[in-house]
Amino acid sequence: MHISGSVWVFGENVNTDLIFPKMWFRPTYESGEMASHLMSGIDSEFARRVRRGDIIVGGLNFGCGSSREEAAAAMKEAGIAAVVAPSFGRLFTRNCINVGLPVVTSEKIDQQVVEGDVLEIDLGQGTIKVVRSGYVGRVPPMAPESLKLIQDGGIANYTRRVLEQRRADNRMERQ
Amino acid sequence: MHAISKIIARHADRDSVEVGEIVNVVPDYVMLNDRGAARAADLMAKMGADKVHNPSQVIVVFDHHYPPIRQQDSVAQKKTREWIKEQGIEKFHAGEGIGHVIFPENGYSFPGALIFGTDSHTVTNSALGCVATGMGHSDIASYLAIGYNWLRVPEVIRFDLHGQFKPGVYAKDIALRIAQLYGEDAAPYLGVEFAGPLVSELPMSERFVLCNMVIDFGAKTGYIQPDDVTRRFMAERAPTRAWTAETTDSDSDYSRIIELDVSEIEPLVAVPHNLSNIKRAADLSNIRVDEAIFGTCTGGRIDDFRVAAAIMRGKKLAPHTRMMINPGSRETYTKALQEGLINIFIEAGATIGVPGCGPCTGCHQGMLAPAENAITNASRNFKGRFGSPEAFAYVASSATVAASAIAGHIVSPSEFLKQ
Repeated sequence: MHISGSVWVFGENVNTDLIFPKMWFRPTYESGEMASHLMSGIDSEFARRVRRGDIIVGGLNFGCGSSREEAAAAMKEAGIAAVVAPSFGRLFTRNCINVGLPVVTSEKIDQQVVEGDVLEIDLGQGTIKVVRSGYVGRVPPMAPESLKLIQDGGIANYTRRVLEQRRADNRMERQ
Repeated sequence: MHAISKIIARHADRDSVEVGEIVNVVPDYVMLNDRGAARAADLMAKMGADKVHNPSQVIVVFDHHYPPIRQQDSVAQKKTREWIKEQGIEKFHAGEGIGHVIFPENGYSFPGALIFGTDSHTVTNSALGCVATGMGHSDIASYLAIGYNWLRVPEVIRFDLHGQFKPGVYAKDIALRIAQLYGEDAAPYLGVEFAGPLVSELPMSERFVLCNMVIDFGAKTGYIQPDDVTRRFMAERAPTRAWTAETTDSDSDYSRIIELDVSEIEPLVAVPHNLSNIKRAADLSNIRVDEAIFGTCTGGRIDDFRVAAAIMRGKKLAPHTRMMINPGSRETYTKALQEGLINIFIEAGATIGVPGCGPCTGCHQGMLAPAENAITNASRNFKGRFGSPEAFAYVASSATVAASAIAGHIVSPSEFLKQ
């Protein structure tokens, strides 16, 4: 899986309260609504300035705290190509995988990039490259199950397939 | 194998699992809070499922926005009530308290169990020697549709706690000390076990505090090996529930074992806006307290109320300080009434709210204005957590919060306990 895009840089211990502040919680969301509040706890202009295909780079423990899936879902909806950090909060990692957003770990990557840099990520090779400096970092291999969930577009698609399979099996049994 | 691995293996219908392996597991119970239920129901329908796979294992709790204070929440809760009925979900608790407090009270979590919930503080339950972890809304929607979830088997680290508490020091201070020493990413994706002679002396209420806080070290679940304290709790709470505790095979099942002498710990405070920014309560007397926020899934149990009442008995809040108290559960509320604790708080000038999350995550009454300071026995001091993003939240033990509410600025509770 190849990803390339231009970078936005955030700090360490950025919690999900900041990525998607609770004041925007709703029981259901209109299309584009979650994306319009992305990172608004840190930068109220971010959602307007970010472009589809951009990459978010964070510091250590990015996405820590609350389980709010909106943090990952808003990134996916905004068209973020990948979120990259030296380490991530557990629930945020899980939510990224489930919404089909590549969540890429690379040691000290936050110290190698400045805003606007272009990153090239090759998940198959396990490499991440900063085009401006030529820096190449390592991406530890992701569990194949997780990578497959991301490539298949997340857990919603997976669940749909399991349900279809079960329905097909039921039809077979009845025949 | 570690007990956590054995619990996961059993729920994956396997004899054994490897650390790092991803397996599909069937949890014993899944908690949906008001927000989680509304979102998961919506997402489940979008996934193409019209029926909840196993409604008897689903427990819906209205705790964040109950009773609703915005019309959008009233509408969502009405829809959820209809959905619960349609789906045949019978375990439903509205206004009875916070999910993570009422789960153990009702025997929904138990030793050896696997518990999921739509909230990061689901880890609280793991103090009973079970695996309990938070999940996203899509995760839970997928569970509702197909009846299982994926789960990675975690490495486990163990904190061996020994020594004796100084007066005014509680489990909360241990958690803050761990955040100070090892950071908010002390245990990324890991299981965190608490063991050692001190833990065996801790009541369940203090064990829940320790395990509640592991999410804010990055952990997947906490763990405390079930013992006599656990057995007594279960016998009282769920006498008819059959449960099997798992045990860990050897010390080689831990990726790290850390010794921690609690004797050296003093009453601590996490200062804005990160949990690893730790200072001694005694050094923060310059911090004015505008509001004390008391309760939540971290500090809303009857033992917290007893500690606070002992400090506040016969005293008044500082004139410039207000205090918002939300019992963690209806049971906490009833006991506190029976024991006369609520009178003590009211006479001190505190405001008593409904059992539930209260101002934590800014869900309910008592939110902060810009530039205000709050001290709270909740778990997080994140920017904007209790209202305005321009406000400041300080996290401490129940005793430190009660003492600071009386003093009007942050103080160590040890002086108050001597009186």
